[in-house]
Amino acid sequence: MKRKQIAITLGIMCFLLAVALCVQIKTMSSANSTVSQTLADNELRDEVLKMKERYDNIYASLEDAQSELEKTRQEATQNDVTAEAKEQELKENNMLLGNADVRGEGVEVVLEDADTTNNNVNPSLQIIHYDDIQWVINELKNAGAEAIEVNGQRIVNTTAITCEGNIIKINGIKIGSPFCIKAIGSQSLLYGALERAGSWLDEIRNGGNVAEVTKMDDIIISKYSGIISYEYLKEDK
Amino acid sequence: MKKFKWRADVTAVTVVVFIVCIVLVSVMLMQFRTIEQTDLIEIETMRESELREALVDWKTKYEEVEKQLEDVNKRIEEYNKTIEDNEAASELIDEELKESNILVGKTDVYGEGIVVTLVDNDNYKIIAEDLIDLVNELRYAGAEAISINEIRVLATTDIVDMAGYTYILVNSQRIEGPYVVKAIGDKEYLSSILNLRGSGFVDRSTTLGKNVSSRQENRVEIPKYNNEFKIDYMRELESE
Repeated sequence: MKRKQIAITLGIMCFLLAVALCVQIKTMSSANSTVSQTLADNELRDEVLKMKERYDNIYASLEDAQSELEKTRQEATQNDVTAEAKEQELKENNMLLGNADVRGEGVEVVLEDADTTNNNVNPSLQIIHYDDIQWVINELKNAGAEAIEVNGQRIVNTTAITCEGNIIKINGIKIGSPFCIKAIGSQSLLYGALERAGSWLDEIRNGGNVAEVTKMDDIIISKYSGIISYEYLKEDK
Repeated sequence: MKKFKWRADVTAVTVVVFIVCIVLVSVMLMQFRTIEQTDLIEIETMRESELREALVDWKTKYEEVEKQLEDVNKRIEEYNKTIEDNEAASELIDEELKESNILVGKTDVYGEGIVVTLVDNDNYKIIAEDLIDLVNELRYAGAEAISINEIRVLATTDIVDMAGYTYILVNSQRIEGPYVVKAIGDKEYLSSILNLRGSGFVDRSTTLGKNVSSRQENRVEIPKYNNEFKIDYMRELESE
């Protein structure tokens, strides 16, 4: 009797062990294939880092070359009165395009996702969406903003704001809450446009999100970090 | 009654059971560890596609900068040559200014591109948001110049609804439907992005019942910006 019991116990244990081993071996073999993938990933990560470094280097040399060009141009046009006016126009063009760092009076807008501990509100209302940012930008333009940036990204003629899932990208660069929007222009016009009664900002605040507008006497907006060029445009005379 | 009788076979069985238990437990522990690891690896593989995307992004940016750098260096050389030869540099600066003016929007331009027509119908009235969305998507698809009803759209252009959606202001100029939005750029790419099933502007709009259509064209003409370029508040930051 006792022997039989022991034999059954042992049998069950052996069975369990065998099953455990089988599962183990299966997981191991599938894990192995992904382990090699991780190695490939690391190589890929290295490659991305290297590429970024190469970009940073060439971008630095571009900046150097651009300031050198400015100097050489000045030198070449020293004795030319009409060229001076053209040089001035070139400078203004670069400010308009977003190719120059600029400063001036304006406003700073901070938008921040709500603290989600308050669960009585629709969660979709508790975050800043890309169209909220788009609305603020459009409103600032309407009030005469001359230069705008969002989290360090200058808004230029080719700037797109995209939303993939819950990732917002400006100029192809990922940005996240809190969003800091800076605009140069008339303080009072910009402020008044955003803070008028019943404006979209109130809507944003209703969800518990933060939306603050501050008048600033001196804002610095850095230039666009990409290249503004054309390939398809032709001048129509 | 005997209290306890030492028997060899029972000892052997106990030892075997004990060993089996230890092996079993260690196998289970190993098992847990592997599972934890596979989870980690899953996150890593998720990142892989992102890594590939990033690599392509940086490469494209690098090539853009490389091209620009070549241009700038060529310019420097040309200016240096005029200095050496004691020639006037006005031609060179004229050329630079011309290209810069094209980018800023101070000239009429043409090129291949796409024309999108938006018409009000019984179900949907086209509002500023539609146009803002469309312009944003055209920019995403690489449009180099955009106009709405012959008004040039620039970085500073606002698009707003007026008087309870009766008309729209673009650059403070009044426009009404039908709206014709033109864009110059790679016509195939512009068209494919706008018509992308499910996410493209034209596809999304028509699914909602809006009257929106697009066509590719070999010659799209876009007029220059017809307001004055004002710089009243910003000034250049002097480099240190």
